[in-house]
Amino acid sequence: MGMKGSPICADNSFTGTGKVKATWKMVLFFAIFPLLLALSLLLGPSGIGIPDLQSPSGSAILSLRFSRLLMGMMTGAALSASGVVFQALLRNPLAEPYVLGVSGGAGLGATLIILAGSGVLATLSLPVVAFVSAVLTLMVVYGIASQGSSGQPSVYSLILSGVIVSSICSSVIMFLVSTASVEGMHNVIWWMLGSLQPVTAGQQLLSAALILGGLAGIWLLSPRLNALALGREMAHYQGLHADFVIVIGLLFATLLAATAVSLSGMIGFVGLIVPHVMRAMFGPDHRKLVPLAALGGGTFLVLCDAVARTLLAPIEIPVGVVTALAGGPFFLIILQRRMKQAWIA
Amino acid sequence: MEQDALTFRNVSAGYKQRRVLDNVSFTVREGEFVSLIGPNGCGKSTLLKTAAALLKPLSGTVELFGRDVQRIKPAVRASLLGVVPQKIESPMAFTVSQIVMNGRISSMGRWGTPSSLDHDLVERSMIYTDVLGLRYRFFTELSGGEQQRVALAMVLAQEPKIIMLDESISHLDINHRQEVLQILMNLNREKRMTILLVSHDLTLSAGISDRFLLMEAGTLARAGTPAEVLEPELLSRVYNCDLTVQQDPYTGFLQVSGAIESLRRRGKLERSVHVIAGGGSGIELYRRLLIEGYEVTTGVLNRLDSDAEAARALNIPVVLEQPFSPVGADAIAKAMEMISSADAVVLSQVPFGSGNLVNLQLAEEAIQRGKMVLLAAGIGERDYTEGKAAVDFAARLKRAGALNWNSIHELMAQLQQQPHH
Repeated sequence: MGMKGSPICADNSFTGTGKVKATWKMVLFFAIFPLLLALSLLLGPSGIGIPDLQSPSGSAILSLRFSRLLMGMMTGAALSASGVVFQALLRNPLAEPYVLGVSGGAGLGATLIILAGSGVLATLSLPVVAFVSAVLTLMVVYGIASQGSSGQPSVYSLILSGVIVSSICSSVIMFLVSTASVEGMHNVIWWMLGSLQPVTAGQQLLSAALILGGLAGIWLLSPRLNALALGREMAHYQGLHADFVIVIGLLFATLLAATAVSLSGMIGFVGLIVPHVMRAMFGPDHRKLVPLAALGGGTFLVLCDAVARTLLAPIEIPVGVVTALAGGPFFLIILQRRMKQAWIA
Repeated sequence: MEQDALTFRNVSAGYKQRRVLDNVSFTVREGEFVSLIGPNGCGKSTLLKTAAALLKPLSGTVELFGRDVQRIKPAVRASLLGVVPQKIESPMAFTVSQIVMNGRISSMGRWGTPSSLDHDLVERSMIYTDVLGLRYRFFTELSGGEQQRVALAMVLAQEPKIIMLDESISHLDINHRQEVLQILMNLNREKRMTILLVSHDLTLSAGISDRFLLMEAGTLARAGTPAEVLEPELLSRVYNCDLTVQQDPYTGFLQVSGAIESLRRRGKLERSVHVIAGGGSGIELYRRLLIEGYEVTTGVLNRLDSDAEAARALNIPVVLEQPFSPVGADAIAKAMEMISSADAVVLSQVPFGSGNLVNLQLAEEAIQRGKMVLLAAGIGERDYTEGKAAVDFAARLKRAGALNWNSIHELMAQLQQQPHH
């Protein structure tokens, strides 16, 4: 995917060679990602290739693969876009939904619902409860970090208290799991490992609506994210309601992360690395970065899932394992070569 | 004629536990170039933040073109007032043109798509600050001076009527500082833009500003023309060190200086040393003794001797004699007066000839009065008198109790052992 380029081919707002290069890379990206998605439809434990659509089992397999593709697109897009926002607002390359405790909080809420029952109401309330508990967690993190500072907490105290609150959340989840019934324990652990097993149609629809809404909200905010990347103070001087944008941005990012967690469990890596890679390839302009990261994150997760279900078939590897094992080295190579265009710290 | 651009009315401001600005009132008129000066921590940055509505005043009002700045919509405020911070930090690899485009952020539509007007304004600001050639470069890779010009271009793209700069140029080298100041002067003269510049370079600011605002511990100590504000007594009080103001006889520019005189303020020892020197052998001693906190006197020196110049620059009391003349009785009497009020007499590595041999007589007199006398070792190599008179003197001095010193370090140690008179 367009890895070659002059050292100054990041996007720009003017005509010039930079723009041509950026456009060329963009075209390549938009040509390649549907192919990768199509490729994922060919992979599965039942074999490689298009299943026989005449047979009922064949069409069932294809429809299953298709719904996993949708699950992957939703989850990957949500996690990756959420990571973009956290990194921009906190101006820190380590920021992602996990670091601020958002995923942990969402996970705790989701665990409670999963252990409580499995009716229609439970599955539909899953994303909502995950979102609410994630927002509560974020507020706790923010509250702790604000202690002793007059006004805005520093990024470092936010991340530190986020890490602490996050590990408290996972301890509570562990405790709940250890005291749960065997069936509940099984459900939670499978969910926690992260998988793109299709959930009920109702939950899928609700999650899709929430994620599309969150992505749209972030895209609307994206020009302001550019200004906020220079800091809250500078954004204020340039005429933004800086604090308002920060709060709204955090809420949208939390909504995306929480919905992704409620949908597919704890899948790491996507929210941290995909934004960096997309930034390295297409530059940090958030107007382009937000949609590109969403597409890139979705495609990446869908591919990883295809590998996860095919590689050791009929055993299915948790997709989170694949994202880290397969994606890690690949992305490291890209980042090492092009980190300068992503993040200069 | 000109309307008021920025008005502070009895503004107190600061943070929860700490009030930084205390009842500050002033007005900056449209088209003025004003420098905001004052020592570190006196509230200059807080004043700028309050002016830009980043901080809400605890009491009083800030008006921007006659409107309460707290009530102006952020986007409108950005079209009136631009702020160039001390330093812009871009964590991500934005290009220069992307950074400058941020200046248009509050004027763009909801979708954040720049119009051709936005592009024009961005390009024009980059031309004005001479960064158009850098537009595809990464902001973070630029030098400090280039970054400041990019920051200025970004703020210019806002099309503000006032630009405030918060020590934005203090850390630049002299070349880049001149560049940025030149741009600011052009903006002020050609576009009638109002400039409020936080500055630490009083001399530089005096040359370009219409008015000065001098702050002292959260209050406005004085506002006025550079000549009205740059008064030595006022500046010395506010900055808590001795400052002098001189007018350049050729250009009429005011020059503020003070670094050398301020050395004297470290004096705490209440002990005085008289230095017998000459020919540049005393400069190092003077400085070191002043830094260590001694009161220093010196003489007899010839006028135009480099030690005499140094003593004058360091504000050290000195007994002078006409150049190339033997030392007269008047000078000897004055020097003896200094020696009698000193605790110790130090002889530098000055060469001795018939003209200044009298200085050794002074030293002998001092030792007879019970003063500590410290003599630079190796006087034989510096003795140009007939019949080695200086060496004889030195031998007599040593018999009478004078000490030898080989290095300034050793000298300082010997002085410290000296009992307090």
